[in-house]
Amino acid sequence: MKRKRLLSILLALSLAASLTACGGSGESSAPAVDGESAAPAESSGEPILIGTISPNTGNLAAYGTAVTTGAALAVEEINAAGGLLGRQLEIINADDQYDPTECLNAFNSLVSQGVGLIVGSVTSGCTSAITGAANEEEVCLITPTSTADSITTEDDFVFRSCYADSFQGAIAAAYAKQAGYDKVGMVYCAADTYSKGLYDSFSAACETYGVEVAAVESTASMDVQDYTNQFAAMVNAGVQFVYAPFYYDVIGPYLVTQARAAGYTGVIMGADGYDTTPDYVVDGADLTAFNNVYWTNHYDPADTSEKSVAFVSAYEAKYGNTPSAFAALAYDCVMMYKAAIEAAGSADPVEVRDTLAADGVVYDCITGTYSLDETGTPVKGASIIAFEAGTGADGKPAVVSKLLDVVTELPQA
Amino acid sequence: MSTFIQTLFVGLRLGSIYALVALGYTMVYGIIRLINFAHGDFIMVGGYTMIFTVPAVLALGLPAWAAVIAAIAVCALVGMGTELIAYRPVRKKGTKMTALITAIAMSLLLENLAQAIPAIGPNPKVASQIFTAGGISFAGVTLEYTTLLTIVISAIVMVVLFQFTQRTKLGRAMRCVSEDKEAATLMGINVNHTILATFAIGSGLAAVAALMYMAQYPKIYTTMGSLLGLKAFVSAVLGGIGIIPGAVLGGIVIGLVESFTTSYVSSSMADAFVFLILIVVLVLKPAGILGKNVGEKV
Repeated sequence: MKRKRLLSILLALSLAASLTACGGSGESSAPAVDGESAAPAESSGEPILIGTISPNTGNLAAYGTAVTTGAALAVEEINAAGGLLGRQLEIINADDQYDPTECLNAFNSLVSQGVGLIVGSVTSGCTSAITGAANEEEVCLITPTSTADSITTEDDFVFRSCYADSFQGAIAAAYAKQAGYDKVGMVYCAADTYSKGLYDSFSAACETYGVEVAAVESTASMDVQDYTNQFAAMVNAGVQFVYAPFYYDVIGPYLVTQARAAGYTGVIMGADGYDTTPDYVVDGADLTAFNNVYWTNHYDPADTSEKSVAFVSAYEAKYGNTPSAFAALAYDCVMMYKAAIEAAGSADPVEVRDTLAADGVVYDCITGTYSLDETGTPVKGASIIAFEAGTGADGKPAVVSKLLDVVTELPQA
Repeated sequence: MSTFIQTLFVGLRLGSIYALVALGYTMVYGIIRLINFAHGDFIMVGGYTMIFTVPAVLALGLPAWAAVIAAIAVCALVGMGTELIAYRPVRKKGTKMTALITAIAMSLLLENLAQAIPAIGPNPKVASQIFTAGGISFAGVTLEYTTLLTIVISAIVMVVLFQFTQRTKLGRAMRCVSEDKEAATLMGINVNHTILATFAIGSGLAAVAALMYMAQYPKIYTTMGSLLGLKAFVSAVLGGIGIIPGAVLGGIVIGLVESFTTSYVSSSMADAFVFLILIVVLVLKPAGILGKNVGEKV
């Protein structure tokens, strides 16, 4: 009897351990202050809380790491320079596990800890689950990377440091036109906000530029492993350019290799979700499959501007690897808060929101110098990046990135 | 024509994986009438074991697939541990429903425990190339050797398992336990040992399934077992759960339905069709394709 009880206690303990392991809301040593009445005691030493929401666990955990490290670097630099309004910044990380429900939980947990300024979330699917709550609670949200058009609207508390899908998809369509493809195909996931959003903007832009969309195939979910049939359909349709807006966890191990195996040799183009793909390719596979894969990105790590170089070297010194665009965008989010808090002379979420929403403010950031449009989306350019089989830093075969083009504004139809 | 062949090959590729996973479900269900929802997660355990052992195996000059031996050992241990720590105590005290809930809890526990281990962590891992690429071409479409091998392995496992339960002493003991535990005890069969052996074999199979899965879909992540396990479970039920050849048949059917739906009906409805087919078959034939409503199983 005793032994059994001991076993059941052990089991219960390990369950509890697993729960805390996945609940992980980071270093939450926040004082219990009410979010809305966040005392505007400017001179008091109380820290200004900045929350982050990102997928720190789950399939897109690489994005979570990038965003939390990027934001942490910005906060560290600001604190080292004396903080804001005489107060230090303190960051609280929350995990949404790339799950909209968990994202809302993470948001509520941050608000209950007194956070009024949030960086997040990363994916459009997750962020769209919290924009309503942010407006209701009057909490500021700057998303680093949610590109779906529907995320930001006029008169709300939601802003971003990235461009929107209507721009990102159109850049790809313009590239197709410019490179001479007048017939293109699309493989996307109809059930995902990000993939569907890019599908919409790419097809709309194709119409504008007079590019014919000859074949469209979808997948049942973002968890699908096999894309062979979809690309066989592209081969049958005779297209040489396929727009495939997915994330790196699909592009690296599955999609590109399977597309080539299905006999598709043309261009595969995607968006910012392709970032970090080179870390997710099969060791020992034929990497020439990744030639002719292009994607639009927010910035280029090889950018030689002074700001960019300083950021990349500070990040490399602290974390030992090259920052992805996600890290740069999260860094920019914190810097946007810095500018807004300084201009407002207060860290109150409503005042910060009003400053962010004001016209004509120019933010000089890593991913570009930009101002926000009426919805709170930056007006800035995009880089087009190409993958190719090459040699990695360790001398082994790897997929390497190469800057193809920088587009600052959309070409005329 | 080439679309048809391509679709067929993709269906076989998916189906062969489902079949191999379904064999593990059906094996355990046949003996203790427990739907082991953690079986999909045993595949995850096998996958990660191979991620970590493949470099060592390659360093020894052995082919990458030899890492499966370590994976079989780890999976069998995890399977037996699950039975000892969770299923057996619950089975003694609770009902079938509590056992089922325990299986679901075990599945979530394994997923979250794996995530908490620093070496595994939350990021998906991408496997090395396990078998050399290549295959047989028909009408310009290639059937990869890996797919063929998966089908061959499923068939071998099916035949060996079937013969094992028919002819060996342990296999016969398993069938006795499945029919009547009390009577089996009276006949001098150690029921607990028999069930433990069933878990060891079923989980070892999960490691083999993990190898073939990785060879074709080289991404390993902590929740990979959930959808894969669900589809394999559906395969086992479709073929007639508890019936060894039924698992293979069910797996291949589900794979083909998924692939043909993608190519010919609607690529976004593949999953919906898989579950629709399940409902239709179960309405027409509640015991599954090969199932009889009464009679012996396994």
